[in-house]
Amino acid sequence: MTQERFRLVISTVLIVGVAASATLIGAGFLLALAIGWQGSVLSASPATAIATTDFSNLPSRLAALEPLAITQLGLVVLLATPVARVAASVVGFALEGDRLYAAVTLAVLVVLLTSIFILR
Amino acid sequence: MTPEADLGIFAISVAAGLIGALAGVGGGILVIPALTIGFGVDIHLAVGASIVSVIATSSGAASAYVRDRMTDMRVGMFLELATTTGAVCGAMLAAVVAPAFLYVLLGVILLVSAGAQVARLGEETPPTDPPSSLAVRLRLQSSYPDRKLGREVSYSARRIPLGFGLMWIAGVVSGLLGIGSGVLKVLAMDVAMRLPIKVSSATSNFMIGVTAAASAGIYLARGDVDPQIVAPVALGVLAGALIGARLLPRISSRSVRLVFLPVLVAVGLETIGRGLGFGL
Repeated sequence: MTQERFRLVISTVLIVGVAASATLIGAGFLLALAIGWQGSVLSASPATAIATTDFSNLPSRLAALEPLAITQLGLVVLLATPVARVAASVVGFALEGDRLYAAVTLAVLVVLLTSIFILR
Repeated sequence: MTPEADLGIFAISVAAGLIGALAGVGGGILVIPALTIGFGVDIHLAVGASIVSVIATSSGAASAYVRDRMTDMRVGMFLELATTTGAVCGAMLAAVVAPAFLYVLLGVILLVSAGAQVARLGEETPPTDPPSSLAVRLRLQSSYPDRKLGREVSYSARRIPLGFGLMWIAGVVSGLLGIGSGVLKVLAMDVAMRLPIKVSSATSNFMIGVTAAASAGIYLARGDVDPQIVAPVALGVLAGALIGARLLPRISSRSVRLVFLPVLVAVGLETIGRGLGFGL
Protein backbone atom coordinates (compact mmCIF):
# COMPACT_ATOMS: atom_id res chain seq x y z
CA MET A 1 0.00 0.00 0.00
CA THR A 2 1.41 3.42 -0.96
CA GLN A 3 1.54 6.39 1.45
CA GLU A 4 -1.00 8.16 -0.76
CA ARG A 5 -3.47 5.29 -0.66
CA PHE A 6 -2.92 4.82 3.10
CA ARG A 7 -3.86 8.46 3.72
CA LEU A 8 -6.95 8.13 1.53
CA VAL A 9 -8.15 5.05 3.45
CA ILE A 10 -7.66 6.73 6.87
CA SER A 11 -9.38 9.95 5.84
CA THR A 12 -12.28 7.96 4.33
CA VAL A 13 -12.76 6.03 7.60
CA LEU A 14 -12.91 9.36 9.46
CA ILE A 15 -15.32 11.00 6.97
CA VAL A 16 -17.73 8.03 6.98
CA GLY A 17 -17.75 7.85 10.81
CA VAL A 18 -18.34 11.58 11.21
CA ALA A 19 -21.04 11.74 8.52
CA ALA A 20 -22.94 8.75 9.96
CA SER A 21 -22.81 10.04 13.54
CA ALA A 22 -23.72 13.63 12.56
CA THR A 23 -26.72 12.34 10.58
CA LEU A 24 -27.97 10.22 13.50
CA ILE A 25 -27.37 12.91 16.16
CA GLY A 26 -28.97 15.57 13.93
CA ALA A 27 -32.02 13.41 13.18
CA GLY A 28 -32.46 12.40 16.82
CA PHE A 29 -32.09 15.98 17.99
CA LEU A 30 -34.67 17.36 15.50
CA LEU A 31 -37.10 14.56 16.41
CA ALA A 32 -36.62 15.37 20.10
CA LEU A 33 -37.44 19.04 19.41
CA ALA A 34 -40.68 17.86 17.76
CA ILE A 35 -41.90 15.16 20.16
CA GLY A 36 -39.66 15.49 23.25
CA TRP A 37 -36.69 13.49 24.54
CA GLN A 38 -38.94 10.87 26.15
CA GLY A 39 -41.15 10.44 23.05
CA SER A 40 -41.37 7.70 20.44
CA VAL A 41 -42.31 7.87 16.74
CA LEU A 42 -44.06 4.49 16.67
CA SER A 43 -45.84 4.46 20.02
CA ALA A 44 -48.57 7.01 20.81
CA SER A 45 -48.07 6.74 24.56
CA PRO A 46 -44.76 8.10 25.88
CA ALA A 47 -42.01 5.51 26.27
CA THR A 48 -41.07 4.40 29.77
CA ALA A 49 -39.24 7.40 31.17
CA ILE A 50 -35.53 6.72 31.58
CA ALA A 51 -32.69 9.09 32.37
CA THR A 52 -31.35 10.64 29.15
CA THR A 53 -27.86 9.57 30.24
CA ASP A 54 -28.92 5.88 30.31
CA PHE A 55 -27.51 4.09 27.23
CA SER A 56 -28.89 0.61 28.12
CA ASN A 57 -31.37 -1.40 25.98
CA LEU A 58 -30.40 0.60 22.89
CA PRO A 59 -31.60 -1.94 20.23
CA SER A 60 -35.18 -2.22 21.54
CA ARG A 61 -35.47 1.55 22.05
CA LEU A 62 -34.13 2.08 18.51
CA ALA A 63 -36.82 -0.26 17.18
CA ALA A 64 -39.40 2.10 18.71
CA LEU A 65 -37.68 5.01 16.90
CA GLU A 66 -37.13 6.98 20.09
CA PRO A 67 -35.32 10.31 19.44
CA LEU A 68 -33.17 9.68 22.52
CA ALA A 69 -32.08 6.25 21.24
CA ILE A 70 -31.27 7.59 17.74
CA THR A 71 -29.11 10.35 19.26
CA GLN A 72 -27.42 7.84 21.56
CA LEU A 73 -26.63 5.53 18.60
CA GLY A 74 -25.07 8.54 16.84
CA LEU A 75 -22.92 9.18 19.92
CA VAL A 76 -21.81 5.54 20.04
CA VAL A 77 -20.84 5.68 16.33
CA LEU A 78 -18.92 8.90 17.07
CA LEU A 79 -17.02 7.29 19.95
CA ALA A 80 -16.23 4.26 17.76
CA THR A 81 -14.77 6.34 14.89
CA PRO A 82 -11.30 6.97 16.41
CA VAL A 83 -11.12 3.27 17.34
CA ALA A 84 -11.95 2.31 13.73
CA ARG A 85 -9.27 4.76 12.55
CA VAL A 86 -6.62 3.17 14.79
CA ALA A 87 -7.65 -0.33 13.67
CA ALA A 88 -7.40 0.73 10.01
CA SER A 89 -3.94 2.21 10.75
CA VAL A 90 -2.68 -1.13 12.11
CA VAL A 91 -3.65 -2.79 8.82
CA GLY A 92 -2.28 0.13 6.79
CA PHE A 93 1.18 0.12 8.44
CA ALA A 94 1.32 -3.68 8.14
CA LEU A 95 0.49 -3.58 4.42
CA GLU A 96 3.10 -0.83 3.99
CA GLY A 97 5.63 -3.27 5.49
CA ASP A 98 6.35 -0.93 8.45
CA ARG A 99 6.53 -3.48 11.29
CA LEU A 100 7.64 -0.93 13.92
CA TYR A 101 4.60 1.29 13.43
CA ALA A 102 2.22 -1.63 12.93
CA ALA A 103 3.33 -2.79 16.42
CA VAL A 104 3.08 0.74 17.93
CA THR A 105 -0.42 1.19 16.51
CA LEU A 106 -1.50 -2.27 17.68
CA ALA A 107 -0.36 -1.36 21.22
CA VAL A 108 -2.45 1.84 21.07
CA LEU A 109 -5.45 -0.20 19.90
CA VAL A 110 -5.04 -2.63 22.82
CA VAL A 111 -4.89 0.23 25.38
CA LEU A 112 -7.92 1.86 23.75
CA LEU A 113 -10.04 -1.30 23.79
CA THR A 114 -8.92 -2.10 27.35
CA SER A 115 -9.99 1.34 28.58
CA ILE A 116 -13.31 1.20 26.75
CA PHE A 117 -14.41 -2.32 27.66
CA ILE A 118 -12.63 -3.21 30.91
CA LEU A 119 -12.06 -0.03 32.92
CA ARG A 120 -15.58 0.99 33.86
CA MET B 1 -32.88 22.94 27.65
CA THR B 2 -35.05 25.61 25.96
CA PRO B 3 -34.78 26.06 22.15
CA GLU B 4 -33.02 29.40 22.84
CA ALA B 5 -30.43 27.65 25.02
CA ASP B 6 -30.01 24.93 22.36
CA LEU B 7 -29.33 27.62 19.75
CA GLY B 8 -26.91 29.45 22.02
CA ILE B 9 -25.00 26.27 22.79
CA PHE B 10 -24.92 25.41 19.07
CA ALA B 11 -23.54 28.85 18.12
CA ILE B 12 -20.81 28.78 20.78
CA SER B 13 -19.94 25.24 19.68
CA VAL B 14 -19.46 26.34 16.05
CA ALA B 15 -16.93 28.94 17.24
CA ALA B 16 -15.25 26.39 19.51
CA GLY B 17 -15.00 23.90 16.64
CA LEU B 18 -13.51 26.50 14.28
CA ILE B 19 -10.95 27.65 16.84
CA GLY B 20 -10.29 24.07 17.90
CA ALA B 21 -9.55 22.86 14.37
CA LEU B 22 -7.10 25.72 13.76
CA ALA B 23 -5.32 25.55 17.12
CA GLY B 24 -5.22 21.77 17.48
CA VAL B 25 -7.44 21.85 20.56
CA GLY B 26 -10.69 19.90 20.56
CA GLY B 27 -12.88 22.90 21.30
CA GLY B 28 -13.78 21.30 24.62
CA ILE B 29 -11.47 23.76 26.33
CA LEU B 30 -13.94 26.52 25.34
CA VAL B 31 -17.11 24.43 25.51
CA ILE B 32 -16.67 23.52 29.21
CA PRO B 33 -16.54 27.12 30.55
CA ALA B 34 -19.32 28.15 28.13
CA LEU B 35 -21.64 25.41 29.36
CA THR B 36 -20.91 25.84 33.06
CA ILE B 37 -20.58 29.63 33.22
CA GLY B 38 -23.00 30.54 30.40
CA PHE B 39 -25.71 27.92 30.80
CA GLY B 40 -25.33 26.67 34.38
CA VAL B 41 -24.64 23.09 33.30
CA ASP B 42 -23.16 20.80 35.98
CA ILE B 43 -19.39 20.44 35.54
CA HIS B 44 -19.60 16.66 35.17
CA LEU B 45 -22.18 16.89 32.35
CA ALA B 46 -20.15 19.70 30.73
CA VAL B 47 -17.03 17.52 30.82
CA GLY B 48 -19.03 14.63 29.34
CA ALA B 49 -20.33 16.91 26.55
CA SER B 50 -16.90 18.24 25.74
CA ILE B 51 -15.21 14.85 25.57
CA VAL B 52 -17.75 13.77 22.95
CA SER B 53 -17.36 17.02 21.01
CA VAL B 54 -13.56 16.65 21.09
CA ILE B 55 -13.98 13.40 19.17
CA ALA B 56 -16.23 15.15 16.60
CA THR B 57 -13.70 17.97 16.09
CA SER B 58 -10.82 15.55 15.87
CA SER B 59 -12.34 13.15 13.37
CA GLY B 60 -13.93 15.95 11.29
CA ALA B 61 -10.81 18.11 11.03
CA ALA B 62 -8.40 15.15 10.76
CA SER B 63 -10.25 13.69 7.79
CA ALA B 64 -9.15 16.77 5.80
CA TYR B 65 -5.72 17.15 7.47
CA VAL B 66 -4.72 13.52 6.74
CA ARG B 67 -5.70 13.87 3.08
CA ASP B 68 -3.90 17.26 2.75
CA ARG B 69 -0.67 15.81 4.31
CA MET B 70 -0.87 18.27 7.23
CA THR B 71 -1.02 15.43 9.78
CA ASP B 72 2.16 13.43 10.54
CA MET B 73 0.62 10.01 11.13
CA ARG B 74 3.85 8.43 12.47
CA VAL B 75 4.37 11.20 15.03
CA GLY B 76 0.68 10.90 15.91
CA MET B 77 0.66 7.14 16.39
CA PHE B 78 3.95 7.14 18.35
CA LEU B 79 2.73 9.82 20.77
CA GLU B 80 -0.72 8.22 21.11
CA LEU B 81 1.03 5.44 23.06
CA ALA B 82 1.73 8.05 25.75
CA THR B 83 -1.59 9.91 25.61
CA THR B 84 -3.90 6.87 25.75
CA THR B 85 -2.22 5.38 28.82
CA GLY B 86 -2.20 8.84 30.46
CA ALA B 87 -5.90 9.36 29.68
CA VAL B 88 -6.86 6.14 31.43
CA CYS B 89 -4.98 7.23 34.59
CA GLY B 90 -6.61 10.68 34.46
CA ALA B 91 -10.16 9.38 34.08
CA MET B 92 -9.74 7.19 37.16
CA LEU B 93 -8.47 10.22 39.13
CA ALA B 94 -11.44 12.39 38.06
CA ALA B 95 -13.81 10.69 40.52
CA VAL B 96 -11.67 11.68 43.52
CA VAL B 97 -10.55 15.21 42.52
CA ALA B 98 -12.76 18.19 43.50
CA PRO B 99 -14.43 20.31 40.72
CA ALA B 100 -12.92 23.55 42.12
CA PHE B 101 -9.47 22.07 41.61
CA LEU B 102 -10.42 21.03 38.07
CA TYR B 103 -11.38 24.64 37.23
CA VAL B 104 -8.09 26.06 38.52
CA LEU B 105 -6.09 23.42 36.67
CA LEU B 106 -7.98 24.10 33.43
CA GLY B 107 -7.31 27.85 33.81
CA VAL B 108 -3.61 27.33 34.41
CA ILE B 109 -3.39 25.14 31.29
CA LEU B 110 -4.93 27.94 29.21
CA LEU B 111 -2.57 30.60 30.59
CA VAL B 112 0.51 28.41 30.13
CA SER B 113 -0.44 27.78 26.50
CA ALA B 114 -1.02 31.52 25.97
CA GLY B 115 2.50 32.28 27.21
CA ALA B 116 3.98 29.80 24.75
CA GLN B 117 1.98 31.35 21.90
CA VAL B 118 3.48 34.80 22.62
CA ALA B 119 7.02 33.41 22.62
CA ARG B 120 6.62 31.98 19.11
CA LEU B 121 4.63 34.73 17.36
CA GLY B 122 7.44 35.71 14.96
CA GLU B 123 8.34 32.22 13.78
CA GLU B 124 6.74 30.84 10.58
CA THR B 125 8.72 27.56 10.47
CA PRO B 126 11.16 26.03 13.01
CA PRO B 127 14.95 26.05 12.29
CA THR B 128 16.15 23.07 10.20
CA ASP B 129 18.92 21.07 11.89
CA PRO B 130 20.12 17.61 10.81
CA PRO B 131 17.80 14.94 12.28
CA SER B 132 18.85 13.08 15.47
CA SER B 133 19.61 9.37 15.24
CA LEU B 134 16.48 8.61 17.27
CA ALA B 135 14.33 10.63 14.83
CA VAL B 136 15.84 8.68 11.94
CA ARG B 137 15.34 5.32 13.67
CA LEU B 138 11.71 6.13 14.55
CA ARG B 139 11.16 7.76 11.13
CA LEU B 140 9.89 10.94 12.82
CA GLN B 141 10.95 13.21 9.94
CA SER B 142 8.84 14.34 7.02
CA SER B 143 7.56 17.37 5.13
CA TYR B 144 4.23 19.11 4.50
CA PRO B 145 2.89 21.43 1.76
CA ASP B 146 2.44 24.96 3.15
CA ARG B 147 -0.06 26.74 0.91
CA LYS B 148 0.57 30.12 2.54
CA LEU B 149 4.35 29.94 1.95
CA GLY B 150 3.78 28.15 -1.37
CA ARG B 151 6.42 25.46 -0.76
CA GLU B 152 7.15 22.09 0.82
CA VAL B 153 8.46 22.49 4.42
CA SER B 154 10.80 19.74 5.75
CA TYR B 155 11.14 18.98 9.46
CA SER B 156 12.34 16.34 11.94
CA ALA B 157 11.32 15.75 15.57
CA ARG B 158 13.74 16.87 18.35
CA ARG B 159 13.89 15.96 22.08
CA ILE B 160 11.68 12.93 21.49
CA PRO B 161 11.80 11.53 25.11
CA LEU B 162 10.73 14.94 26.52
CA GLY B 163 7.88 15.16 24.00
CA PHE B 164 6.77 11.63 24.88
CA GLY B 165 6.72 12.50 28.63
CA LEU B 166 4.74 15.70 28.07
CA MET B 167 2.28 13.71 25.98
CA TRP B 168 1.67 11.33 28.89
CA ILE B 169 0.84 14.33 31.11
CA ALA B 170 -1.41 15.72 28.35
CA GLY B 171 -3.23 12.38 28.39
CA VAL B 172 -3.71 12.52 32.19
CA VAL B 173 -5.14 16.06 31.97
CA SER B 174 -7.45 14.94 29.17
CA GLY B 175 -8.84 12.06 31.20
CA LEU B 176 -9.13 14.25 34.29
CA LEU B 177 -10.95 17.23 32.75
CA GLY B 178 -12.59 15.68 29.72
CA ILE B 179 -10.80 18.06 27.40
CA GLY B 180 -8.55 16.82 24.59
CA SER B 181 -5.75 18.76 26.27
CA GLY B 182 -4.85 19.78 22.73
CA VAL B 183 -3.02 22.85 24.06
CA LEU B 184 -0.56 20.59 25.87
CA LYS B 185 -0.19 18.35 22.81
CA VAL B 186 0.51 21.34 20.56
CA LEU B 187 3.00 22.67 23.14
CA ALA B 188 4.78 19.31 23.35
CA MET B 189 5.15 19.12 19.55
CA ASP B 190 5.75 22.84 18.90
CA VAL B 191 7.97 23.85 21.85
CA ALA B 192 9.59 20.55 22.91
CA MET B 193 9.82 18.59 19.65
CA ARG B 194 10.14 21.66 17.37
CA LEU B 195 7.67 20.51 14.72
CA PRO B 196 6.11 23.22 12.50
CA ILE B 197 3.06 24.78 14.24
CA LYS B 198 0.66 23.72 11.47
CA VAL B 199 1.88 20.11 11.66
CA SER B 200 1.67 20.27 15.48
CA SER B 201 -1.88 21.58 15.26
CA ALA B 202 -3.06 19.09 12.61
CA THR B 203 -1.35 16.15 14.35
CA SER B 204 -2.80 17.22 17.72
CA ASN B 205 -6.23 17.28 16.09
CA PHE B 206 -5.59 13.77 14.74
CA MET B 207 -4.62 12.53 18.22
CA ILE B 208 -7.14 14.15 20.55
CA GLY B 209 -10.02 11.99 19.31
CA VAL B 210 -8.17 8.83 20.28
CA THR B 211 -7.17 10.25 23.68
CA ALA B 212 -10.78 11.25 24.33
CA ALA B 213 -12.12 7.89 23.12
CA ALA B 214 -9.83 6.12 25.62
CA SER B 215 -11.73 7.67 28.52
CA ALA B 216 -15.12 8.35 26.88
CA GLY B 217 -16.41 4.88 27.76
CA ILE B 218 -15.82 5.61 31.44
CA TYR B 219 -17.80 8.87 31.27
CA LEU B 220 -20.58 7.16 29.32
CA ALA B 221 -20.94 4.40 31.93
CA ARG B 222 -20.90 6.98 34.74
CA GLY B 223 -23.89 8.86 33.25
CA ASP B 224 -21.93 12.03 32.41
CA VAL B 225 -22.94 12.04 28.73
CA ASP B 226 -26.37 13.70 28.41
CA PRO B 227 -27.67 13.74 24.78
CA GLN B 228 -29.84 16.80 25.57
CA ILE B 229 -26.63 18.84 26.01
CA VAL B 230 -24.25 16.82 23.84
CA ALA B 231 -26.34 16.87 20.62
CA PRO B 232 -26.20 20.66 19.94
CA VAL B 233 -22.57 20.75 21.12
CA ALA B 234 -21.43 17.90 18.85
CA LEU B 235 -23.28 19.24 15.78
CA GLY B 236 -22.01 22.80 16.27
CA VAL B 237 -18.41 21.82 16.97
CA LEU B 238 -18.39 19.56 13.91
CA ALA B 239 -19.62 22.33 11.59
CA GLY B 240 -16.97 24.72 12.95
CA ALA B 241 -14.20 22.12 12.67
CA LEU B 242 -14.96 21.44 9.00
CA ILE B 243 -14.61 25.18 8.22
CA GLY B 244 -11.39 25.46 10.25
CA ALA B 245 -9.81 22.47 8.50
CA ARG B 246 -10.19 24.25 5.14
CA LEU B 247 -8.49 27.38 6.51
CA LEU B 248 -5.37 26.04 8.31
CA PRO B 249 -3.18 25.25 5.26
CA ARG B 250 -3.91 28.71 3.82
CA ILE B 251 -3.17 31.06 6.74
CA SER B 252 0.10 32.02 8.48
CA SER B 253 1.16 30.55 11.83
CA ARG B 254 1.24 34.09 13.17
CA SER B 255 -2.44 34.75 12.39
CA VAL B 256 -3.44 31.46 14.02
CA ARG B 257 -1.67 32.44 17.25
CA LEU B 258 -2.94 36.05 17.15
CA VAL B 259 -6.58 34.95 16.89
CA PHE B 260 -6.40 32.64 19.91
CA LEU B 261 -4.15 34.51 22.31
CA PRO B 262 -6.86 36.85 23.73
CA VAL B 263 -9.38 34.00 23.85
CA LEU B 264 -7.02 31.72 25.81
CA VAL B 265 -6.07 34.46 28.29
CA ALA B 266 -9.67 35.57 28.89
CA VAL B 267 -11.09 32.09 29.36
CA GLY B 268 -8.08 31.03 31.45
CA LEU B 269 -8.53 33.89 33.92
CA GLU B 270 -12.30 33.42 34.05
CA THR B 271 -11.97 29.70 34.75
CA ILE B 272 -9.42 30.20 37.53
CA GLY B 273 -11.74 32.82 39.10
CA ARG B 274 -14.58 30.31 39.02
CA GLY B 275 -12.42 27.66 40.65
CA LEU B 276 -11.41 30.06 43.42
CA GLY B 277 -15.09 30.82 44.13
CA PHE B 278 -15.51 34.26 42.52
CA GLY B 279 -18.95 34.34 40.86
CA LEU B 280 -18.74 35.60 37.26
